[in-house]
Amino acid sequence: MPAIELTNPAALPADWRDILALTKPRVMYLVVFTGLCGLLVAPMMPPAVLGFTAILCIALGAGACGALNQWYEADIDAKMRRTANRPLPSGRMDRQSAMHFGVGLGFFSVLLMGLAANWLAALLLAVSILFYVLVYTVWLKPRTAQNIVIGGAAGAFPPLIGWVAATGHVSALPLLLFAIIFLWTPPHFWALSLFVRSDYAAAGIPMLPVVAGVSTTRRQIFLYSLPMAAAAIAPWPAGLAGRAYGVSATVLSAVFLVLAARVMTNRATDPAQMAPEKKLFAYSVFYLFALFAVLVADSWLVG
Amino acid sequence: MPKIEDEIVRRQRERARIMGWLLGAFVILIFFITIAKTRMNW
Repeated sequence: MPAIELTNPAALPADWRDILALTKPRVMYLVVFTGLCGLLVAPMMPPAVLGFTAILCIALGAGACGALNQWYEADIDAKMRRTANRPLPSGRMDRQSAMHFGVGLGFFSVLLMGLAANWLAALLLAVSILFYVLVYTVWLKPRTAQNIVIGGAAGAFPPLIGWVAATGHVSALPLLLFAIIFLWTPPHFWALSLFVRSDYAAAGIPMLPVVAGVSTTRRQIFLYSLPMAAAAIAPWPAGLAGRAYGVSATVLSAVFLVLAARVMTNRATDPAQMAPEKKLFAYSVFYLFALFAVLVADSWLVG
Repeated sequence: MPKIEDEIVRRQRERARIMGWLLGAFVILIFFITIAKTRMNW
């Protein structure tokens, strides 16, 4: 056994827990949940096993995105406290294995989606994976402060894919669900990037608080929350969701706007004093879960 | 260096076991997908 293997854990076969960690399972919950909601609000239900497989494919596609993102950003992750202990920057796994795993998982998810659901859903899944990896991770993230604005489209695909997997076509409601997540992403990520700003600055990632400052970011959070709230309520007046959804979406969005306004009026620059930002970040996750859960409940229970 | 060899064998065994379970689950999934697709075409 060569001595180098003692100091290089990546030379060992990767532990399965590290392979699983490559898929960012904690980020996957929201992707799977929104994809499932897209499928459940569709006017026609596929057989349970096909619906399950479609959601599984969305999860595997998200896992492929996570693995390829970690493969490409291993050097950047090593510079940030939040990500330094991931399998690649910590040296527990070699980069090539991560790349092979990500590409393989991506191909597998698209192929299975095409065979189990339909090829339009598979095409959308492929586009979302390529968009996340090539457009967001490789192109936008290291170059522009608008990375999260345009890149947010990648995370907005799951409800659209879920709907298309069930129906075989695109219509107004899943496009609105796409718009909700697309507009929700900037306030969500900018709230986070405000209190981990030093991490992004150290890694040289041009997130908005690093490039334009905290006060501009706080204003942008509030400004983006306005069209997000409008998109969230829109299915109700458009006749695509019932009153229960409309009232819930209005209340949830009003709370979001109040929290975003508190962020806008906060003047702190020390992350320890950024309680409004942390509260908005936590609430934004709850907001999306609640909004989509209410949409499904409104569709199934109220009709 | 028996410790490293033991660790390699342990990891390979764990991965082989998980891969076996995943492949088994995949075969069952494909079986049920085929049944569902066939029924849809009836």
